[in-house]
This record gives sequence, C-alpha cells and structure tokens, in this order.
Amino acid sequence: MVSEVTERDGVANRGTQDSGQHWLLAILLSLLVLSMLVAAGIGAVQVPVRLLAESAVGMSQLSDDQRTILFAIRLPRILAAALVGSGLSVSGLLFQGLFRNPLADPYVIGSSGGAVLGASLGVFLVPAVSIAGFGTTALLAFAGAMGSIVLVYWLASSNGRTPVVALLLAGFAVSTMLSYSSYFLEVLDHDFGQGMHILSSWLHGIIAQPTWPQLLIVGGMLALGLAGSVPLARRLNTLALGEEYATHLGISVQQTRIAVIVIGSLLTAAAVALGGLISFTGLIIPHILRMILGPDHVRLLPSTALAGALFLVVADTAARTIIAPAELPVGVLTAFIGGPFFLYLLRKARREVLS
Amino acid sequence: MMPLIEFDDVGFNYGEENLFNNLCAQIFENDCIALVGRNGIGKTTLLRLVAGILAPSSGEVRLKHRALDSLKHREIARTVAFVPQNVEIPFSFTVKQFVEQGRTPFLKMFGGLDTADYRAIDRAMTLTDTLSLSSRAFNELSGGERQRVKIALGLAQQPQLLLLDEPMQHLDIGRQFEMIDLIGTLRDEGIAILASMHDLSLIEGVFSIVWLLSQGEEMRQGSPREMLQPKLLERAFNCSLRHRPRLVEHTRNRMERAI
Repeated sequence: MVSEVTERDGVANRGTQDSGQHWLLAILLSLLVLSMLVAAGIGAVQVPVRLLAESAVGMSQLSDDQRTILFAIRLPRILAAALVGSGLSVSGLLFQGLFRNPLADPYVIGSSGGAVLGASLGVFLVPAVSIAGFGTTALLAFAGAMGSIVLVYWLASSNGRTPVVALLLAGFAVSTMLSYSSYFLEVLDHDFGQGMHILSSWLHGIIAQPTWPQLLIVGGMLALGLAGSVPLARRLNTLALGEEYATHLGISVQQTRIAVIVIGSLLTAAAVALGGLISFTGLIIPHILRMILGPDHVRLLPSTALAGALFLVVADTAARTIIAPAELPVGVLTAFIGGPFFLYLLRKARREVLS
Repeated sequence: MMPLIEFDDVGFNYGEENLFNNLCAQIFENDCIALVGRNGIGKTTLLRLVAGILAPSSGEVRLKHRALDSLKHREIARTVAFVPQNVEIPFSFTVKQFVEQGRTPFLKMFGGLDTADYRAIDRAMTLTDTLSLSSRAFNELSGGERQRVKIALGLAQQPQLLLLDEPMQHLDIGRQFEMIDLIGTLRDEGIAILASMHDLSLIEGVFSIVWLLSQGEEMRQGSPREMLQPKLLERAFNCSLRHRPRLVEHTRNRMERAI
C-alpha cells in the first residue's frame, strides 16, 4: 500500500503525521506503565521500583507482606484509577464531538450527576440486589447517565445546534439538581451511616478499594465502550461540518447521536461506579491532546484513552500520598487542576466558542 | 441523452409559504447553470432539493431516472456534491482533513481512506489550487481560500454535478474572477454545475444556461442573453433598472464581448 503512495505534499503529510501519532502512543504507554510501577511502590510501606521490576521478570522475590499490599490493595486501586481516567476522557472526547463543542465533558454536562443519582438509588434502595458489588448499582448509574445527557441535550439544543452557553447552563442545572437529590435518599437509608458514607465518597470522587471482580466488570465495560467508539470517531469528524452537511455526505446523524450517547454513558457509568464524581478529567485530557494532535477523532481516540489513564493514576497517587496518612479524594485534586484550566479555556476561546 | 437530474412537477412548501409549484426542469451533463433570483425566493431550497437534503412537497426529483427519495444519501453524494454557503466547524481541522470528509460517501463502516481516496483528494486539491493550504487550519483561511477549499471537498466526492450556493459571496473582485475561472475549469472537466449567483455581470462567458426565479411565476430557463433582459430582471428583482442605465449598458457590453 505504502509504496503506491505518490510523493505529492498532500499525501506525504500523512506519513509524518501518522508516525508522530505512533510516537506519542508509545510515549504515553511507557509513561503509563512507569507511573503504575511507581504508584505501586509508593505508600505507607515502600516497595522499591527496582524490586518490583525485578520480581515482575522473576529475578527476585517479594515478601508476603509486600505481596499482600501489592495485590490486595495497591494494584486494584491503580488499575481502577487507570480505568476511571480512561473512561472519563474517552466519553469526554465523544461528547465534545457530538455537541460540536470543546467544553463538553461528562461532569460539566451532567451525565456524571445522573450516574451518581442512579448509583445512589442502587446503594440505598436496592442494596441487597448486587452482583460482585454492583450489578443494579452499575445498571442504574448507566441509566442515570443516559437519562441526564438526553435531558441536557434536549434542553440545550435548538435547530440542531447546541450553543455553549445553553449547554453549560443546562448541564450545570441538571447536574446540581441530580447530585443534590441524592441527599434525599439519605432519609430512606435504613442502614444509618453506611450508605451515606459511600455516597459522600462518591460525590467527592474517591477511588475506593475495588475488588478484582469489580475491576473485571468495569474493565469489560471500558473495553466495550472503546471498541464501540472506533467506528464513531470518523463520523464525529464529519459531524463537525454540521448536521445537514454530514447528512448530505451519508452520515446517519440520528444513529450516530444515539450511539455516542449510549457509549458515552456506558463509559461514564463505568467510571462513576469505581470513582464517583471526578471532575474535569474528561475535559482537559481530550483538550490537551487536541492541541498536540489536532482535532481528528480517529487519531485522538487511542491517545485519549492512554493519557486519561496516565493522568488519573498520577493524580490518584498524589491524592493518597500528599497528606498521608490522611487521604484526599482525587476529585478534589482534579477540581483544583481542572477548574483553573477550564476557566482559562473559557477565556481564551471565548470568541471562537461562545458564538 | 439521459438527464442527470429531472424535476417532475415539483412543488415545495416551506411552512405556510409556497416556494415552488409545478417546477419542471432538467440538468444534463456539461450544463453550466446559473440560478438567479431575489433573496428569499428559494435558490438555496432548490439546491437542497437537488442534493436530496430536502424532499419536495409534491412531484418528484429524479437522479438518472431514479427518484431521490428512494436513494440513500451516500449514493446521491457520489454523483451530486452540494457546497453550502456557510460552513462552521468547531475545531481547528486542517484543510486536508476538511477535504478528506468528501470521501465519506465512499467509506466502509470500519475502513479508512485508501489509495483511490487519496488520489481523488489530491486531484480535487490540485484543481482548486489548494494543495499549498493543506496544513493550514480551515477556520483561519481568508474568504477566497475558504471558498476554494469548500469546493475541493465537493470535488473529492468525484461528482458529476456540483451544486454551488452563492460561490461569490464575500469575495473581492479579484477572487471573484478566480472563482469564475475555477468554475470554467470544472465545466471543462465535464462536471455539470448549478450555482446560485447574485452578481449578474459575472454570469455570461462561463454559464451556458440561466434559471430565473421570480415571485409568483414559473421558473424561466434560457441562455444568459435571453434571460438577463432588463424587463425580466426588473420583474424578478422587483426594482427599476431604468435609473441605472450604466449598469444595464455595462452588462450588455460585457455580454456582447463574450459572445
């Protein structure tokens, strides 16, 4: 194939851009592995990274204590952070493409609020029905995410456009309403304190200690969501031309819209089930990558998945170590990083985005 | 010869308003048609009907004897390319990525662009002289560059009929002449063209047919010489040209030179 390519500049560009993307993917992947190794070593019991690397290839042995800490506590948490970061970032990318708006993210447009409400319904009302820790909870989180995004989309769009102001206001209102309505459920909490504690962690975005079966389920949801995003990426590029033009070019806008909402909600629900409300990750990660790679969704998808995982592994490790032995919810940390970044974007892009 | 497009007794209502009635017309290969009429008369609507974006309220639009309603958008877009007046994109896609979208009607569900696609893109950008703009951001282009790039996207569809909605809009006089030359080049490439035009003095020379829309009358069709008569234009545009004798004379002189 490659040998047939002519040397016109238009075509030659393609090769260099592709190899640039491959480099970025390789760098992100190695950084992710490295950050996971370092994160596994950091904590109350330090495990040197060299020892970890050597044991991974069978050159040395870990003590039993070290083994327990690694496999029962740290690794699940690190993997959870990676899955949550990936899920949030990819759903952010999908929503930004669908809304034709670089300021959309699952937190801003309220789908995480819906997921939290769904999840807390699950925790408070049907706690008995659960498979491997979620089951109904994850399903209700998914339904909540989807319901709220359909609501926000419907509220914010007119004539096939979603002006950014309408989107932000509708998203803010819906997400605040949904998040706070979770507190009502407190009244229905028979098991005083227990459910409230879980809910409160969720609202602050804390990555709890997941079990391996939970990780498997969420990993499966993430894999499903990522696979489903692949054929959508190219359509989102075409959708950027506007709905009417995309329709003319043969894109089924309605189908694409439904697919993005379903898959984006699946990813959000997967992330919320493990990490609760973690703000701004889905906003900043796609945005930074768009600055590097340009807006082509096909190219952005794999790097966004990796960079989101990397970002949250680092953030979560920082969250559980900077004020050790106490622990900061990672959502607080991402809010402090993401909030100013969001405002910066809003100011910088005001003219182009707020029109 | 088989017509590319046939309007068979087409009517179209926009809400309460009736835009067309009993419209009958044909577009053949090698036709180069200027669509003329005052603002709001339905020029863009007519182009959208041909592109299959809008469906007629009555009658039928046919593409090579097949009703447009029975065809998928993908299929129509491989023969008919619609270049809209305004394109707004939210992200800073490069010109090349923008033009690549023209291959969408040819892509399979999971496939990417192949060599044939890149060849079509390359050809489209060569014809519109936009190769040098490849890596520029579409949103940062000047009006004239943007217009050429939009046409490149249409040409990447390898159409037999190109629909241009106000291709002269926002262009200075120099860019207008470039655009006219480009339309001439495309016509010589064997691509049929239907373009809505406001600047009547640019029509003769390149366009072989004029479709003149005027309020409450059937659409008139004829050569530029037949259609661009002060009497007809006064009716169509609801204005008096008598107070602008120089404009009329200027137009007539240029027409005679062209013929």
